[in-house]
Amino acid sequence: MTQTQIIDALLAFIAADGATEDEFNSLALKLFVYQFENNLPYRQFSLQRARTPRTTKSWRDIPAVPINVFKDLTLSCCAPEDAERTFMTSGTTMGGIRGKSHHPTLAVYDASMTKNFKQRFMRERETIRMGILFPTEDIMPNSSLAHYLALAVRHFGTPDSNYMLQENGIDFALVFDALERAEATGESYALLGASYSFVHLMDEMQRLGKSFVLPAGSRLFDTGGFKGQSREVGPDDFYNQLSASFGVARRDCINMYGMTELSSQFYDWGNEICPSVKSGPHWIRSRVINPLTGLDVPRGDTGVLVHCDLAHFNIVSTILTEDAGVEVDDGFLLLGRADGAEAQGCSMAVEEFLKAAQA
Amino acid sequence: MDFQDKVVLVTGASRGIGAAIARAFAGEGAAVAVNYLQNTAAAEAVAAECRELGGEASPFQADVTNGDEITSLVGGVLETFGKIDVLVNNAFRPYVFDPENRKMFWELDWADYQTQIEGALISTHGLCKAVLPSMKMRTQGAIINIASDLVARPTIPYHDYTTAKAALIGFSRNLAVELGPFGIRVNCVAPGIVYPTDATRDTKEEIKDMLIASTPMKRIATPEDVTGPVLFLASDWSRFMTGQTLYVDGGLVMN
Amino acid sequence: MTERAGYLPGLAADEVEWRVLRFGRGIETLEIEVPVLSDAQMAALAARVRDAGRHHLKTLSTARIVNIIDQAIARLLDRDDPYRRKAEALLPVVTGYDGEMIRLGLTGYLKTFRKPELNRFLAEDFPNPGILDDFQPIAKGGVARAFGPDILVHIWAGNVPGLPLWSLISGLLVKAGNIGKVPSAEPLFAGWFAQILAEIEPSLADCFAIVWWKGGDIVQEKALLKEAELVLAYGGNESLAAIRSRVPVTTRYLAYGHKISFGMISRAALDVRKATTAAHQAAYDVVRYDQQGCYSPHVFFVERGGKVSPRDFCRYLAHELASFERKYPRRALTIAEAGDVAAWRHQAELKVLSRPEHEIMGDAEGAWSVAYVEGDDDFAPSGLNRTIKIVAVDSLADVASRIAPYKAFLQTVGIAAPPDELYRLADDLGRVGVTRISALGQMTAPEAGWHHDGRFNLLDLVTLTEIEHSAEAVSDSFAPYVD
Repeated sequence: MTQTQIIDALLAFIAADGATEDEFNSLALKLFVYQFENNLPYRQFSLQRARTPRTTKSWRDIPAVPINVFKDLTLSCCAPEDAERTFMTSGTTMGGIRGKSHHPTLAVYDASMTKNFKQRFMRERETIRMGILFPTEDIMPNSSLAHYLALAVRHFGTPDSNYMLQENGIDFALVFDALERAEATGESYALLGASYSFVHLMDEMQRLGKSFVLPAGSRLFDTGGFKGQSREVGPDDFYNQLSASFGVARRDCINMYGMTELSSQFYDWGNEICPSVKSGPHWIRSRVINPLTGLDVPRGDTGVLVHCDLAHFNIVSTILTEDAGVEVDDGFLLLGRADGAEAQGCSMAVEEFLKAAQA
Repeated sequence: MDFQDKVVLVTGASRGIGAAIARAFAGEGAAVAVNYLQNTAAAEAVAAECRELGGEASPFQADVTNGDEITSLVGGVLETFGKIDVLVNNAFRPYVFDPENRKMFWELDWADYQTQIEGALISTHGLCKAVLPSMKMRTQGAIINIASDLVARPTIPYHDYTTAKAALIGFSRNLAVELGPFGIRVNCVAPGIVYPTDATRDTKEEIKDMLIASTPMKRIATPEDVTGPVLFLASDWSRFMTGQTLYVDGGLVMN
Repeated sequence: MTERAGYLPGLAADEVEWRVLRFGRGIETLEIEVPVLSDAQMAALAARVRDAGRHHLKTLSTARIVNIIDQAIARLLDRDDPYRRKAEALLPVVTGYDGEMIRLGLTGYLKTFRKPELNRFLAEDFPNPGILDDFQPIAKGGVARAFGPDILVHIWAGNVPGLPLWSLISGLLVKAGNIGKVPSAEPLFAGWFAQILAEIEPSLADCFAIVWWKGGDIVQEKALLKEAELVLAYGGNESLAAIRSRVPVTTRYLAYGHKISFGMISRAALDVRKATTAAHQAAYDVVRYDQQGCYSPHVFFVERGGKVSPRDFCRYLAHELASFERKYPRRALTIAEAGDVAAWRHQAELKVLSRPEHEIMGDAEGAWSVAYVEGDDDFAPSGLNRTIKIVAVDSLADVASRIAPYKAFLQTVGIAAPPDELYRLADDLGRVGVTRISALGQMTAPEAGWHHDGRFNLLDLVTLTEIEHSAEAVSDSFAPYVD
């Protein structure tokens, strides 16, 4: 298939109401052929795993690229300079080197984001007044989250929505102003941003002894965890504190799980119970595997998450994350980063060696 | 037996025993490279049958006595299927099995021997060498060479043909020793006369009856009879067997 | 099935709080009860051991102690002995290692603690072992006697079966009162050994104790550390540093950190006949205890120019690992361990994409992996659990300078090379911190009397009391028989 054909097929797939396993499988395999043929490093990677499209009959058998490969290799079916946009990881998780995802067009990303966001965050509403605790797309053109939030504001935000994070940090006055207005008018409000920004905001509110009770229908959106940008907060503490600070029930605090290396996102249906069940739209499927054998772990066991995101068509659709998870009904539980093992003996392990060598 | 996710290269697979072997592997889920020399239509038909049987298959044209063609054959199979788990050396140089008009020893020139020995060994030697890097890299592999029970019991002394097949068995045993430490196994399957194949189509009923009479199982092998032992030697069930020759002739040869 | 760990002289079982650790291997499960002592119990235990050590152990001759240990080891070597049977039955469940591998490993290891080997231990560190029994003349003049500490605390780590024996026996040989803390990963063996010793020589029953606390339990750790005269600790740098910070400043502290070992194969060992033997031995070193030992290899440097290329050696090794997997299957990995191995494999896979001359091999189940690299690849630990890297080099002589930056972490090097090269390499390796050179296939079985990490097993434990020549000379003038 040509790039145009792929894009058309994807837009149609996303626009559909759902997909059967066969429909998903069929498009996933076509994408594998496309990526195998047009993405030389991925082709070599697959051959190294003795996998070719000819011997691959199920999306589950498509070689999953470990996420750290993105920092070392250019994985793109189009020439990187032909990309409409290149998203880069923040570099916090890969030793400062930034993984790249090239997008020849953002049409598919945008279609994936907006349809999914509507279903999972907006739900019954068409628009809501938004406050964004994240820089604009202009300031961070390579941030997929900046683009994502820009889409949210553009498609679902009321005209008086605004960005509340300047270069020197959160504009607290602006935030408090907006929240107070929401309280006063009774107009429901959505505050969206990185998890750590909420921690910064709540720290400041605590300092000032401030809290809000946002009107019914208001909701909060956080994503990305703390990444060393703020103090670490356990999930229950975090959502309790969010709920207490903004007067929004935990079930209306939505966490999004996404990454630069994907073009689709996962959401929960609120965080009444943590860890919450995450799930994605019909164009992304996940597995929980033993990272060594690549086989699914028994249902209910902890493993590592693999995602097959059809919308990530130009790079590789199937990636092996470093996130631990458990498969449950209707999705998976996200348990955070998969940790290394504790030493069993007196032989030195890689991580310890690296630490010691740096010391 | 499960050959799901296994890749098998069968030489001379557009007809006869080779085609039967290809179909048998495909029936167990393997991806089969159907090598052939001339008959594209027949090879494509075999590949199509393989796919119908639940496997994956593609025809690959190559003269397996030609070094360059072997190289591109193996390269092509690796590009298409990613690896080669099993190599079945089945192709052999045409030979007329005619018990009544066969050449007697004093009628044979060295060139007759040479033709058959080369026919049996050049392709096997070349292919074994060519698949070796990819098998070594994966520390596993099964090579199966098709010999003949005439080596053990020359019911009819086809001197040149049988000498060549005997050489093939010797070749296989030596190779088995060399490749054992790499986890690669080399074995032979030695059928008796197999009917019907192109080589035996003209065999007289009288001859067949004679063979049947002295065969404990009282019939002549079919191409499908040969496939079982080949699949066995290709499978993990025979993982600790190498350098062996399995006779498939209804008990005519016992050893 | 339930088994109780530890050895607590003077404390009745019902006085002690027990916690259950659960182990499983396949369908076998085992519950091990480990003791959780109160501060008062810990103090009482220490007092008892100190007292008994002074009054019983320190009054025995070294020869007598050697005899007692020898008898205890003989029981553990006897496959019909109940303790030996228990070890063979339970240690595979506790550690996950293959039962046959443990059986052979234990026998080989225990043999290094029989009487002749113990005497070798003594002779290695003391020109005159009598110095442990009485004052002996010393070279500079005067006489000296060596005293072991009243309380020697051992903090063991890891799951390699029997490892605590090394320091516990060293402690006994210098007549120290010993209190050992067993790791949660293998809490049994040290306690059994203590029980056997007490059965053999009841008068020593109070001279040692085996305790447990959950790793990182600072309160428990401090309670014991303050009783110690000398602390011997094993573990990773982080935990060693943490322990050090809690050891009283007047208490001596000996730390054995995690190490990296590796192998070197000379082109002389790579002819067609010898190469498969070398591969077999190298694979054995990898397989033993799944590379968890400090002496386990992480890398093999293989020299070019032999009949068998480093690349083919690598494949021989891969096949040997596949064969060993049938003989001594690798222990089942936790998902975290599987993740570490996978990460190592992925890293190697990635290298192959940019350096096609590199290779990565492994079975589908991930039971073993071999990476082949050329050139100046970084020296680094393997992913453990049967992951090994082969580095092709033009000359083994170049290796020492490559590993020099890692001096603090180096330990054993298994070498297959002719004599002159062996000595040349050993000299270079010693300079960059390598402390032990063994044959291939012997890396995980140090010989009796081995100087662990290049240090003195016994000498490091004792203090000398010297009577200087002057005191001796002047004392004559006070003798009743003075002329």
